[in-house]
Amino acid sequence: MSTLEVKDLHVEVQDGESGAVKEILKGVNLSMSTGEIHAIMGPNGTGKSTLSETIMGQSAYHVTQGDILLDGNSILDMPVDERARRGLFLAMQYPAEIPGVTNAEFLRAAINARRPKDDQISVMSFLKELDKNLDLLDMNEAMPERYLNEGFSGGEKKRNEILQLLMIKPAFALLDEIDSGLDIDALQVVAKGVNSMRGDNFGALIITHYQRLLNYIKPDVVHVMMGGRIVKTGGADLALKLEDEGYAGLRDEFGLDVDLVDEN
Amino acid sequence: MSQETMPLVADTVTKHDEPAWMIDKRRAAMDQMPTLKMPRVQRFDYRYWQMMPSTEIHWQSSSASLAQSDLDTTTAKADDQQISIVQVGQTTTQVKLPAELGQQGVLVMDLFDAMREYPELVKPHLMTNVIKTNETKLTSYHMAMLTSGIFVYVPRGVAVNQPIEAHIIQDSTKTDHPLISHVLIVAEAGSEFAFTQHLSTVGEAANIANCFVEIDAAEDSRVRFSSLDAFGPKTVTYFERRGLAANHANIDWAVGLLNDGNTIGNIDTNLLGEGAETDSKMIAITDGTARMGINNGVTNRGKHSVGNILQRGVLLGRSQLVFNGIGDIIHGASGAKAEQENRLLMMSNEARGNANPILLIDENDVLAGHAASVGQVDQQQLYYLMSRGIDRQQAQRLVIRGFLGVVLSAIPAKTVRQELITTIERKLTDEN
Ligand SMILES: Nc1ncnc2c1ncn2[C@@H]1O[C@H](COP(=O)(O)OP(=O)(O)O)[C@@H](O)[C@H]1O
Ligand SMILES: [Mg+2]
Repeated sequence: MSTLEVKDLHVEVQDGESGAVKEILKGVNLSMSTGEIHAIMGPNGTGKSTLSETIMGQSAYHVTQGDILLDGNSILDMPVDERARRGLFLAMQYPAEIPGVTNAEFLRAAINARRPKDDQISVMSFLKELDKNLDLLDMNEAMPERYLNEGFSGGEKKRNEILQLLMIKPAFALLDEIDSGLDIDALQVVAKGVNSMRGDNFGALIITHYQRLLNYIKPDVVHVMMGGRIVKTGGADLALKLEDEGYAGLRDEFGLDVDLVDEN
Repeated sequence: MSQETMPLVADTVTKHDEPAWMIDKRRAAMDQMPTLKMPRVQRFDYRYWQMMPSTEIHWQSSSASLAQSDLDTTTAKADDQQISIVQVGQTTTQVKLPAELGQQGVLVMDLFDAMREYPELVKPHLMTNVIKTNETKLTSYHMAMLTSGIFVYVPRGVAVNQPIEAHIIQDSTKTDHPLISHVLIVAEAGSEFAFTQHLSTVGEAANIANCFVEIDAAEDSRVRFSSLDAFGPKTVTYFERRGLAANHANIDWAVGLLNDGNTIGNIDTNLLGEGAETDSKMIAITDGTARMGINNGVTNRGKHSVGNILQRGVLLGRSQLVFNGIGDIIHGASGAKAEQENRLLMMSNEARGNANPILLIDENDVLAGHAASVGQVDQQQLYYLMSRGIDRQQAQRLVIRGFLGVVLSAIPAKTVRQELITTIERKLTDEN
């Protein structure tokens, strides 16, 4: 069993244009183990992506206080690639496009990066695994030979993130708005992919704006994030309640002093 | 200098059993040399390079065994359909041409043999239409001092299905042994073929390489030229690669410039004929303290002629790379198209790069466009790759591959492409 703990996390970013530094996360606490699916819901601009990017190690986000622990050890000093090799995976809200590097080549490099030099994956087992997962995700067979995310539609990019998840098999997956821009069919495919990973050796943190995705991936724990903090934690029913009452309702119920960009 | 050296030239070439017209050509070139200027590479200063180390010809033979390591890696899959020619220094060590092609009149052979056996084919094309000896000091130096070469001739209407592969190996096991080499390619009307050359160095001596390619493409012919340039660190290179395209002829260039040493060069296609086309693709990687200055040009003379230039360069270490994209549209070339894109990726703060589009347009009815950029590695791409566990070095290599991708994927010959990728990876690995 692996654990991922976020303790009193404070994070700042510097605005690219104005240069002004602002605090986005203001003391986030979160603790999860493999075998569990957690969801974080929250309005736009509240810091959900900031949390996931900070856990992954994107250098634009500066931790000013608190800690992130993987299996009890701080990962704050580790570069991104090392965190990944230790078991973290972030399905990004906006994956980069890399022309000239095929999906297949990239996937093999990613898989081999976490295996010893003298035990790289064989072409046969790689292709077998790839075929199986392409099938599961209803993805085109031509996909592996296409350049990484280049010219992919929004939906194709999301599926491709899930394909990577299935191939890399991390201990913890952070899925950032993996549902945004997906129609119901695509959403079900993505959910099927994530559900196929469920098990004792896998944990997921699903970040979403809407409750809809959680109909297909049942969370064990739901956190609500507002104004850079987790303001409420509950079971799957918390998501439904949010759907009914909206973030504004919850904010008023807790008497929180936060601005909601889009009141829903 | 011509006064003292002229008799030397005459003497040495007589011993080499060259036809009189060739000796005259050499002598004329030698005579005019002092009056000519060095070639110009905009924004690149090579004033202090020694490009003409000697004005005496020394004929020396090189051993075929020197070609071995080069050939092992690239032509292991030899079959009886293979068309290839191997030269080490001044010596042609191997020629393979399937008999059927020979019967059709296809020639792939040593240039000096061709002068003797097929003067009627060589003489009208050698340094006459495509590159002229009196252009610059270095073109006349080339003509006067020429000591190795390849002649490729494809007769009217003949399509050659296998690529013609040339290995040109500079013999730097010898000192004072410049490589002065000329590839003359004559494509008769309606012919179609691909020519691929691999340039490399054996030995450690410091020598120059002065390498020319002329492609004379008659109407409706199609020539696909690729080159992998990988001369050694002590070689100072000057190359000219020029094409002349008649009506509806097509010349494509795919060049990987991976020399370890200093290099200047000029690629240019003269689209003389109506509807003539060229696609000129180039990748260059510079590292260490190497300096490279390249002109890549297209001259649109023919109506409805089409020229595209696509270049990508990667700079490592303290190297310098200058790409000049030169588009020249001559008055009367109505309906012509000229596009160019030159991009450089700086992998080091100490490297210096320049990507200059130079457009000279003297005709209204044309479509011309250009794009140029000099930039750093995309941090978002790097982060994305690393977030999958790939370490920084490998991620950088992949991003560079991505940057080169548009050119790489457009290189028609799969073997050349693969070789280019392998050589690039090696260079990038060495750097780290
Ligand atoms: N890299 C960044 N540079 C500057 N501001 C940022 C950056 N990332 C996030 N922010 C700001 O932080 C706040 C939270 O953003 P984000 O974490 O993306 O929220 P969410 O994912 O919940 O919509 C927003 O005000 C956003 O503009
Ligand atoms: Mg977000």
